[in-house]
Amino acid sequence: MSKPALLSLHQALRKGFQTLESNQKLWRSVLAECTPLMVSLGNLAEQLRALSRVQLSNTPLSAFPDLQQCLHFKLVQATDTVLGKLSEKMSSLQAARDAISNQVSGVFQVYEQNMDSLDLLTLTERSATAPSAADMMEWLQDAERHYRHQYLRRKTLLQTFRADDLSLLESAPKRWESLASPSAEDRITDTLFKVSLFMETQ
Amino acid sequence: MSLRLLSVDAADQGSQRCRVGPAVMSALGLRLGSPLRVSAAGGTCLCTAWPRADLAEGFLQIDLKCSSPSLLSHPPAHLSLDPDQLTPVPCLKLRGVKVTVVVQSVDFRKNTPRHLVHELVKDMLKGVYVCQRHVVNVEDFDTEIRYIVVEDTNPDSAEAGLITSKTGVEITGIQTLRHFRAQLQDQHRVPLGGLEEVSASLREMLQLPLLYSGTLSSLGVSCPRGVLLVGPPGVGKTLLVRRVVGEVGASLVVVRGPEVVGSRPGESEEMLRGVFERARAAAEEGPCVLFLDELDSLCPRRTGSSAPENRLVAQLLTLMDGMNQSDRFLIVGATNQPDSLDPALRRPGRFDREVIIGAPTLEQRKAILSVLCERMPVSPSVDLAELAQRTTGYVGADLSALCREAAMHAIRHNSQGSEEQAVAMKHFNEALKTVRPSCLRSSLGRTELPPVSWEQIGGLDEVKLKLRQSIEWPMRYPEAFHRLGLRRPRGVLLYGPPGCAKTTLVRAAASSSHCAFLSVSGADLYSPFVGDSERALAQLFRQARACTPCILFLDELDSLIGSRSGSQTPHSVQTRLLSVLLNELDGVGLKTLERRGPERILQAEGEEQCHTQQQLDFHEVCNKDVMIVAASNRPDCLDSALLRPGRLDHIIYVPPPDQQTRLAILKVCTEKMPLDADVCLEELATQTELYSGADLENLCKEAALLTLQEESMEASAIKHKYFLQSLHKMSPSLTAQQISSYQTTHR
Amino acid sequence: WDEGNRKCSAVTGSARKVRDNAADWHNLMLRWDKLNDAGFAAAGRVVDLRLRQSHGEAPPPALSSAHADLQQECQELLDVLDKMAAVVMKMRRLAAWQSGLVDLERFQLGDEGRPVPLFHGWRTAQFEEASRQLLEAYGRELKLKRAVLQELAHTATSDLCMVYLSCWLHQPYTPPQARLRLEALLLETGHRPL
Repeated sequence: MSKPALLSLHQALRKGFQTLESNQKLWRSVLAECTPLMVSLGNLAEQLRALSRVQLSNTPLSAFPDLQQCLHFKLVQATDTVLGKLSEKMSSLQAARDAISNQVSGVFQVYEQNMDSLDLLTLTERSATAPSAADMMEWLQDAERHYRHQYLRRKTLLQTFRADDLSLLESAPKRWESLASPSAEDRITDTLFKVSLFMETQ
Repeated sequence: MSLRLLSVDAADQGSQRCRVGPAVMSALGLRLGSPLRVSAAGGTCLCTAWPRADLAEGFLQIDLKCSSPSLLSHPPAHLSLDPDQLTPVPCLKLRGVKVTVVVQSVDFRKNTPRHLVHELVKDMLKGVYVCQRHVVNVEDFDTEIRYIVVEDTNPDSAEAGLITSKTGVEITGIQTLRHFRAQLQDQHRVPLGGLEEVSASLREMLQLPLLYSGTLSSLGVSCPRGVLLVGPPGVGKTLLVRRVVGEVGASLVVVRGPEVVGSRPGESEEMLRGVFERARAAAEEGPCVLFLDELDSLCPRRTGSSAPENRLVAQLLTLMDGMNQSDRFLIVGATNQPDSLDPALRRPGRFDREVIIGAPTLEQRKAILSVLCERMPVSPSVDLAELAQRTTGYVGADLSALCREAAMHAIRHNSQGSEEQAVAMKHFNEALKTVRPSCLRSSLGRTELPPVSWEQIGGLDEVKLKLRQSIEWPMRYPEAFHRLGLRRPRGVLLYGPPGCAKTTLVRAAASSSHCAFLSVSGADLYSPFVGDSERALAQLFRQARACTPCILFLDELDSLIGSRSGSQTPHSVQTRLLSVLLNELDGVGLKTLERRGPERILQAEGEEQCHTQQQLDFHEVCNKDVMIVAASNRPDCLDSALLRPGRLDHIIYVPPPDQQTRLAILKVCTEKMPLDADVCLEELATQTELYSGADLENLCKEAALLTLQEESMEASAIKHKYFLQSLHKMSPSLTAQQISSYQTTHR
Repeated sequence: WDEGNRKCSAVTGSARKVRDNAADWHNLMLRWDKLNDAGFAAAGRVVDLRLRQSHGEAPPPALSSAHADLQQECQELLDVLDKMAAVVMKMRRLAAWQSGLVDLERFQLGDEGRPVPLFHGWRTAQFEEASRQLLEAYGRELKLKRAVLQELAHTATSDLCMVYLSCWLHQPYTPPQARLRLEALLLETGHRPL
């Protein structure tokens, strides 16, 4: 009775998990690329801080009167460059997020289309090879929410960075690290593991 | 079957899911992820239905992603819900929403470009089911944006709507969390009794500059910046400010004086600057009031040395002077010791207006009591007017303590078995014994006064009548005095031989007229320091005025204050006390700060419609003064200036008891004694010429002791012979010569 | 090699020389950057050793060896600086030649200068100005680096060390326009396609 409907929902779910898997990899690799950028951001902030603390006219460098200004300019410029690179990375993250979001909403669309022939019992039925459809939909939704959260938090953090707020920049690598939520990441990996059998049974 | 409410799983936080069992979902016709409304006690919230992972029935977990504002501050407390509190709601995709964004800090609000906020909000709202006037909680994103208030939806639907990526989001405003919380709190306001007059004037002061600053500046008027509230502790200064600020719709930054004071040098000043900065930031979102409570502890009068307080005062002055017209906030200070404030604070341009709140008058106490009793189940037997009359000197805080205490009594009483759930008058009477007015606390003349009734004093009927005329009547029936054009006496002097119940008479008068009673005798006022006694006396009068109607009893006036003519040293303490007393009697010492209640003028002829009300009015107008009662057994030693009309103008002689009186006294004294049948009180009365009331009481006591001594501890009655034996041992304390001297002095 | 290059390959005389100079500028600047990176690495090690020494982290027996290490790193840094000085020397020669060309043209053609531009639009004086500015930038940079080198091993405050290092790394006197100027030069002379 509900066989074709369930099949098409399963098909959509499979596609969703595939997208999730590939984009999880993409997400991780982009994040890995961000780490050194964050470190150099922190370094630059440290250099700016040191420059602001040193009175150059009292040092052997007093022979270079405009050094303070020039160096400061250079440092700020370098900071800007790094921030620019980071925002490029953000667009990659956004792409990953959007891909997941679209796929997940696709799954829910398929569900809505077949809603009338899918009763709750069918949806919550679990088997040895596959979790219930309801569970899988939930997991996909959770994963989608996780990436939306992550993207938003990282983006907000990036937006708050300003070349003149040194203490914030200095703590940039730490803050960036603290945004990661390994437990949620693990949950997604876990989910992918749980559905691996289901994915293989085409 | 009811559903048990459990807390949300960590993984579901921010998912807007409502986890129920599949059976409930089927029963309600809910699909996976379809929206439903949960109505709890405090409000409603919008969720999406999901089956529990373990598919168990009978439990409910709600993620409060989108709920009505009231639910935000008070999460549902009931541990179980009925399935019919869940309703599936139809839902459509929204074309647009209008929202207000609530952010954590002022800095974020100032520094973040609008388009970025817009972008973030749009991302946050995507996929959320919303409803008009609901609040979306976005704390789980862990950004500066905490809440999003949905003001309006398009299409305009009272039910739920889903926000998709195509939904247009319009931000109508950005608020800080503090402001938002303050607004939420405004919904539960505290009622305020008896302060209408003051609150109206304060409201006007706040409203003008805060709400119509444009008009004021176009008129070229500079707004007042500071208002100083002055009044004794407990009259409701803090409450009043909170209330009025809430009414005006301004946000409130509260600082209690001691909070700001830090231990490190410069710390306090820094904190004070921070407070002003906070007020300034809050003022950018709307009118704001900076409330400095207990200002006297913050800014005491500057002393010569460079105490840390001096720097704090200077900092406050600088900050107040540094406020310019664009700072749209007002400073309200409150203090109960205006005299200890640095005078520089009270100059124009700083605290330029002062509002004085005195201890509540009778009328105000009635208003306060009625507000307090509104929320209590009070039995109809409670007469608030009478309660108000009996609570002279009580301030708002005292009255609220009184009501609490009465309620406690009621609870204790009711738990002992009675079914009645109301607070009755007897509970209030109990409470009155324990809760004393704070005005009189630590007062010199505060005496524990066991109520004395007229009946407890034997004889002296003529004196009693005179006393009632001059003390009790004007206090209790002022309207009659007014009607007949009678001026009430200002002061009463009782004189007579010692031991003849002068003090007891005054106590009886005080307890029968239900007013505050302060009593001092000479020793109370003595102090080895120059000027201390005078200050104590003046303070006594001030306290007495603060809780009128009040009887101020000066016992043994002759020892307290001598006569100017008779005394050897012209500048002794007594003479100085005398001049203070004369001052106070003439009303010179009254300060503006002691003003209480609104000024009222008696209507010549009120209508009969509300007799009790009118009576209260009379009380209020006529009993503004303190009744001074003095007692002395050496009236010849008193300064004649004291006895002039307008001062102690009613002079009552309390004579030694005559035969009839003595009989009455003996009857009263032996009331609780088992007398043998042969005891003849009449005989005793005739034999006790020149015995004072105290002597007679002593006689009875002696006779009783003698009985125990002569017979045994088991003696059950006092025989007549013991009275006679005791009488032989005693000698009267009065002499005929003494009495005749009294009679010649003032007759 | 596109059309522009082919056309330019035919040029001779002054134009040929200017074009070669532009290529030299490019190469010298690349070499400078490489040296700068090497120098920065060495400077970083110097600072590291120096700070560790001053904080007394190294145990006494290791002190002498640490000292030797420091000596060695300083020597390496000195070598790098010498090479950088050589680069600037070559730059100076290029700039001198360019200004010589301007003088020559003024002598040959009067104050008006060359009626037709050598390549696309630049006048000869512009080439001279470009190389002069580049030279000036690198000259100051070299001076700064000398000063840094002298002080680096004798500074114990971490803030100042940090400033020295960022001076080396970020080259404050080479404005961002320097790179642009070189690119413009390469474009004009036809090394880069238009």
